[in-house]
This record gives sequence, structure tokens and C-alpha cells, in this order.
Amino acid sequence: MITKAAGTPAICSSGNRNRSIKSDMDIVIIGLLLGGTYALMAMGLQLQYGVARIMNLANGEVLIAGAFGAFWFFLGTKASPLWSLLFVVPCAFGLNWAIYRVLIVPLVRRSKSQGKLEVDSILATFGLSFFFIGIMVAAFGAQYTDYSYLSEPVFIFGQRYGLNRVVSFGASVILCAALYLWLHKTRAGLALRAVSVNPSAAGLVSINVINASALAFALGGAVTAAGGVLLSMYLTFDASYGVVFTLKALIIVILGGVGDIRGTIVAAFVLGLAETAVATLIDPGLTLAAAYVLFMLVLLVRPQGLFGRRVA
Amino acid sequence: MLESRNVSVFYGRHRALENVSASISKGEIVVMLGANGAGKSTFLRAIAGQTQKADGGTVLMDGNDITRRPPHEIVETGVALVPEDRGIFADLTVQENLFLGAHPARARALEAQNMQRVLELFPRLKERPKQLVRTMSGGERQMVAIGRAMMSAPSILLLDEPSLGLAPVLCTELFRTLRRIKESGVGIFLVEQNAKQSLAIADRGYLLDNGHIVGADSAAALAKDEKVKAAYLGE
Repeated sequence: MITKAAGTPAICSSGNRNRSIKSDMDIVIIGLLLGGTYALMAMGLQLQYGVARIMNLANGEVLIAGAFGAFWFFLGTKASPLWSLLFVVPCAFGLNWAIYRVLIVPLVRRSKSQGKLEVDSILATFGLSFFFIGIMVAAFGAQYTDYSYLSEPVFIFGQRYGLNRVVSFGASVILCAALYLWLHKTRAGLALRAVSVNPSAAGLVSINVINASALAFALGGAVTAAGGVLLSMYLTFDASYGVVFTLKALIIVILGGVGDIRGTIVAAFVLGLAETAVATLIDPGLTLAAAYVLFMLVLLVRPQGLFGRRVA
Repeated sequence: MLESRNVSVFYGRHRALENVSASISKGEIVVMLGANGAGKSTFLRAIAGQTQKADGGTVLMDGNDITRRPPHEIVETGVALVPEDRGIFADLTVQENLFLGAHPARARALEAQNMQRVLELFPRLKERPKQLVRTMSGGERQMVAIGRAMMSAPSILLLDEPSLGLAPVLCTELFRTLRRIKESGVGIFLVEQNAKQSLAIADRGYLLDNGHIVGADSAAALAKDEKVKAAYLGE
């Protein structure tokens, strides 16, 4: 069942399928399945950057920790890795809450401006990411890791797809919808959106901005780790692979617009489709490069994001 | 009663306010007049906890010391600020802004009742609960801002230049609304450049110049005062 293989971690590790017979429909469906899972992980960074205003460069390491959590759980119990969400999510929530309280709050308190805070928090979380990599290498080793779960075919429009991708997509859609509803239908969710929109006015309506930011940061970490659990069901990863996901999430958040949940979801699908198209039509090795071309185009042409307004 | 005693504020070495003492009770309108840069906004921000106050001054709300309390706790004592930039959530809807106003624990039980009251004061807001505030006119935003503050069930409302940027007709309407709010028992502390209309609805007034209180009297007396006429009423 468990395979540990050294090899390039490919985003579209299609294995038994032949690239030449892939139809355009294939690209669209695989792209959408991938994008759906990306949406969840990017929602995590969106909460951390859009609400708590912390660009967390250790975000991807939290995702990989979630993936290791699922792997370890599956190895031990042979039960569905989805069950690992029950402990991965609360652990990631607690860990990220502690990170915000211990590491970030002192930076917030001493920073004179948002720009200064951004530089400080980027440096601090960049350092933190290496700390996490070190811990994970010590705990799980440095080799590529994957496991085989639900790797049986499911047919959509007559084409075969991995059932694990479909299940992962479905779980991601459910979690994204739950998060969206929580943000839009509850008082606590409204408070987080208020902090995202106007932190100084949030204090005037009795929102404790530090506490709300800690909640957003912790929740963001929990959501990202949940994304890691789902991605681990079909991707190969290793302890130092987090930076790739940090940067993917960053691309999605910037492309979708900071603070814009709907933009994030659309941007996640755009990235999923673009990566799949490039991997299929050109070369799987170019997926990351393609993502960066997309990122640079956004920064040059629409720095405010797909749906964002130009700041006057 | 909300009371400041010898409140001073420094921006670096620059003294923005020095030993300002003022007070306001429920059910009265008090106006603070002063030129641009006199320190009016600084005073309100200091009261609401948004600006650091120098040692030696105190702010009391109903006898409790709130000098060092953060903004989100001061709201809970019944003091609501509408800052000069309105302090609204432009990317959220009218309804969401008003619900946020009722976020303080003190206001939650009375949320439905306060919502009804705010919509009576500003019927315009009832027509478009789902509209994003940033797409509204200046007058409508001001309604959202004051409505948002009223949702927190304040005893004292602090308003920073509410008439700023409003057309004359809207100004008149605004001051009429403020009088109705006062009649419901809320105290309104108003910082204004529109001396004529604000003195007309106010009970008392303070004159602030260069960070100091330079005069305090009933609104009627201030409106007749020659110096006030010359400085603020353009007569």
C-alpha cells in the first residue's frame, strides 16, 4: 500500500495515462480538480494576509505538516486520511495561534507602520519556515513521501480520473463552502471581515483587533493544514517542499485580490487550469515556471487582483 | 457623564492638546468650535482611546477612569466615536455595517430595537440594506456612520465634523436628526467648523484654539459673542 519513491514531485503525476490521448476536456477536469484543492489552501493564506495582515512565509510548511499528519495517520490506521482532519485541524489551529501570540504580536506592537510590520513578519516567518523544515526532516526524514489511497479510476465523461483527486476536490469544496458561510453568516465571521476591510474602525465597534487577528491567523493555518491533508492524497511531497505551496498560495491570493474570498476561489481554478495545461501540453517540469509567468503578469497588469479595485 | 480633566496629547515633541478639560452629560448637545488644526479631532481621538494621552490627564465615564483603556473597551462603556473619515466599512453592505455597530456586548440584546430606531432616523438606509457602502453618496455614508454608532447603544456620541462635505440641504437634515437623537436621551459631543448650525442646536459650547480651551459658555451666549462672531460666524 505504502510507497516511498524518490522522484520528481510532479503536479500532474498521471502515471498510467498516456499524454497523447488526453483531450482538452481532460485538462479542464484535472485542472478544476486541482484548482478546487488549491482554493482551500489559498483561503488559509488569504485569512492570514487579508485579515491578520501577516504575509506568512511558513504557510507552506504548515501545509506539509498537515500532509505528514495525514500520511502518518494513514500509515498507522489504514483508515481514510480524511479522518486525520479531526486532529490535524485543531493542532494547526493551536500551533498558528501560538505563533501569532508569541512571535507576531510583539512585532505588531512595536511596528510604527504597516510596511515595517510587513518586512518584519516576512523575515520572521521566513526564518520560522526553516525551523519547521528542520523539525519535519528530523521527524519524517528528507525523502519523497506519498501513499496510495483510493487510487482507483473513476469515469467522468468517459475518461478515467483518480478517485483520490475527486474525493479531495469534494472535501475541499465542502470545507470552502463551510468557511464562506461562516465568514458571511455569523457575527464572528463578520468581525473578521470588518478587520480585513478597516482595522482602525474595527476598534470603534468594540472588536479587539489583536484577538481577531490571532483568530484569523490560527484559522488560516488550520485551513492550510486541511489543504495539506487533501493534497497528500495524490501528491508526492517531502519536508522541504512547503515553499512551493507558499508561493502557489501567494500567487492565488494576489491574483484573486487581497481580502477577496471569491477572487481567491476563481484564482485557484485559474492556477489549477494553467498548471495542468502547461504540464500536459508542454512539459510537466514547467508547471512552476508557468505559475510564475502568471504571477508576474498579474503584478505587472493587475496588481490589485482580478476583481480588486485600483487604490486611488 | 463623560469628562476629560487636563488631557494633553503630544505628537513627538509637538503639543497638539494641552490641559483640555471638558464634559458632556446625557441628553445634551455640546459643540467644540475651532479652526483647522486647533486639535479638535485629536481631542475626540484621545477620548475614544485612539490616541495616546500624556500622563497627568484623566478621562472619566460615569465616574470610571477610562484614560488608558483601548478603543474597543471604551465603546463598551457607552462612548461611540464617528471619526472624521466616518469609520465605516466601505467594502461591506449597509446592513453589515449596522450589525457591526451592535458588536459591543452591551448592544447585542437590544440589536433589533436599535436597528428599528436607526432605520426610523434614516429611512434611506431601509431602502437598500444590501448596498455596498463605498457605492453610496457622502450624505448616505454619513447616515451609515452615525447609524453604525447608534447601533452600539451609546450614552455619549462623539462626532467629528459630521457636516464636512455635505450639501447645505443635507447639513440641515443632519442637524435636525442630531436634535432627535439628543431628544432620545443621548449626549452628543460635536466638533465642528459649521459654527452657525451647530450652535443653533447645541446647549453648550467650547472654543478650542491651538490646543487650549479659550472659552466655554452656553450656545446662545457664544452665538452672540463678538469674538465668536468674528472668528467662526464670518460676521
